[in-house]
Amino acid sequence: MPTKREGFKAIRFKVHNIAKNSMTKYVLRRLLYLIPIFFGILIIVFVATRMAGDPVKLMTGLNPRITFEARERLTQYYGLDQPLYYQFLKFVWEMLQGNLGNSYAIRGGTAVTTLVGNYAWETFKLQLAALFFSLVIAIPIGILSARKQYSKLDMTVTTTSLVGTCIPIFYMGIVAILIFSYFLGWFPYGAAHSLDPTRYPFGSYLLDELWHMFLPVAALTFAELAPVVLLVRSSMLEVLRQDYILAARASGLSERTVIYKHALRNALIPVVTYVGLYFGGMLAGAPITEKVFNWPGVGRLYVEAISKLDFPVITGITVFVTLMVLVANLITDIAYAYIDPRIRIE
Amino acid sequence: MASKEILKIENLTTYFYTWAGVVKAVDGVSLDVREGETLGLVGESGSGKSVTALSILRIVPRPGKIIGGKIIYKGENLLEKTEGEMQQIRGKEIAYISQEPGTSLNPVFSIADQLTEVIRRHQNVTKEEALKRAIELFRIVEIADPEIKVWNYPHQLSGGMKQRIAIAKALSCQPSLLLADEPTTNLDVTIQAQILELMKNLKEKLGMSMILVTHDMGVVAGVADRINVMYAGRICEVASTKTIFRNPLHPYTRALLEAVPNVALRKDKLKIIPGTIPNLISPPSGCRFHPRCDFALAECASTVPPLVEIESEHYVACIRAKEFTEKTVRGVKR
Repeated sequence: MPTKREGFKAIRFKVHNIAKNSMTKYVLRRLLYLIPIFFGILIIVFVATRMAGDPVKLMTGLNPRITFEARERLTQYYGLDQPLYYQFLKFVWEMLQGNLGNSYAIRGGTAVTTLVGNYAWETFKLQLAALFFSLVIAIPIGILSARKQYSKLDMTVTTTSLVGTCIPIFYMGIVAILIFSYFLGWFPYGAAHSLDPTRYPFGSYLLDELWHMFLPVAALTFAELAPVVLLVRSSMLEVLRQDYILAARASGLSERTVIYKHALRNALIPVVTYVGLYFGGMLAGAPITEKVFNWPGVGRLYVEAISKLDFPVITGITVFVTLMVLVANLITDIAYAYIDPRIRIE
Repeated sequence: MASKEILKIENLTTYFYTWAGVVKAVDGVSLDVREGETLGLVGESGSGKSVTALSILRIVPRPGKIIGGKIIYKGENLLEKTEGEMQQIRGKEIAYISQEPGTSLNPVFSIADQLTEVIRRHQNVTKEEALKRAIELFRIVEIADPEIKVWNYPHQLSGGMKQRIAIAKALSCQPSLLLADEPTTNLDVTIQAQILELMKNLKEKLGMSMILVTHDMGVVAGVADRINVMYAGRICEVASTKTIFRNPLHPYTRALLEAVPNVALRKDKLKIIPGTIPNLISPPSGCRFHPRCDFALAECASTVPPLVEIESEHYVACIRAKEFTEKTVRGVKR
């Protein structure tokens, strides 16, 4: 028990320690929950893909001279003649050793881990930049809009956001390409890099990367911006009505402290939930955006793999995305507990 | 009794500009608070008593706006001060305790954070000193284990405890005037009594003045020195607590007192005031109470009754107040 003589720091350290311990327990418990969820999702996807069709037939369908025996040999080669449970257990066993199999369709059986590794980074880069910019722009606008509720500024912001939410990204993306690439010629039409190093702006690889990122990031930012603005605004309005804001004002705190310390921390709780859910999902890639901008991301890879019934790639991406979603949820929960002490101690 | 006034409100008018129309929440309220006294501000919900309190600190929430009047605190008009000057007065000179103990503390910061923040805002002290002061305040408001409790978050504390902390927060900078807005409304009766007793003692100890806003006649009876009765944005009767309870003159005050259950009278039914508080967008003409008043005359609908001193220190805003005095003298008490 801390005594009167103990200073601020000593007591704070003690309390911090207790919080940290309960936090560790909390995280561990959440991690344990993840295991059954992960395997559940895996089983569903594994069974569902194998019910979707026969990849061997798809591969050989256009070859009129293929023999029945050749098909049988291919089926055996891919192990698709084995019972489903055997295939699944084999997959899990290999997965635990870090092997997600080889693609049926891409460049003579590229390892799925390599594929996911390459494509995931491109997706991650795009989405992270878009999320960063949308939050940095949306939060201040949402706060301002809430503080000046029903003003002209607020009306403009809410209307624009509503319109922004309604415009589909493929439309936005195509219009952006049309204007900035076709008419103005400022940005490339798509892809993540210039194929020819001589076309790098100022000969810099990094600049080339940023140059290619600009349009897709802008389109994604715009698409993500609107819902966050509306969420921050409504959440802030709710918080500003609370008694503790009035109490904070009544105790002579400056408007800045009241808004950015007392109100914002409370208003961000629903935003964290939103971003957490969104972040998990967006690592699956934005198939449409990636298609429009011809971006070599996970989303595009996923869609292509499904259309070719490329089982290892489908399951491989599923494993990756599931893990990412679960991790994102965990991070959300931790962020939650950090912001809101009511969750920390149960 | 005639001590100096610490706060004098003249003709305060606060309106809320809503979509439906202008809500005249406080419409020409004048009152004064003397040094060291507790002034009870009594009325139904929606009578403008809370808005009056918030107007004093100039923290009326949007879309409310103070339209006119004067709020003279220690000889200076608060309505002429800049926002920066007001921030120096809020919490330091005039403190405020809000209705809901449960929601008046920010749920995401520890009590220590919230108390030291206010202390450091108004006093030039280090974090450690502010913390010591906060623990001291916890002792003053009689919370056990202050060194531990100070690190708690609001959700870990009971309602009574939270209200004690709200009081501690209000007292942290030794204000001269305390505005307590229904400080006990949401507490259990036993806790109510404790909190009221605590506030009463602290007020004496620190020599503060206090405005106690409440709709509970029982609460003001025990604590207030004088009472202002408010109805629909206006003051209708001002007198010492004793006078208000012994000899209420305004029909509204009488009705309010009759609506308080009284075991001694052994009545089966409580008297209720018919109707509801009027819509303050288009309040009744003349005396705002006349549609609900048992004694209303035709004249009541057209004339706004001024607040007139009927006896010494007893002001009533009713054109028939004189008649009621005579009746009371003849023993035709309520």
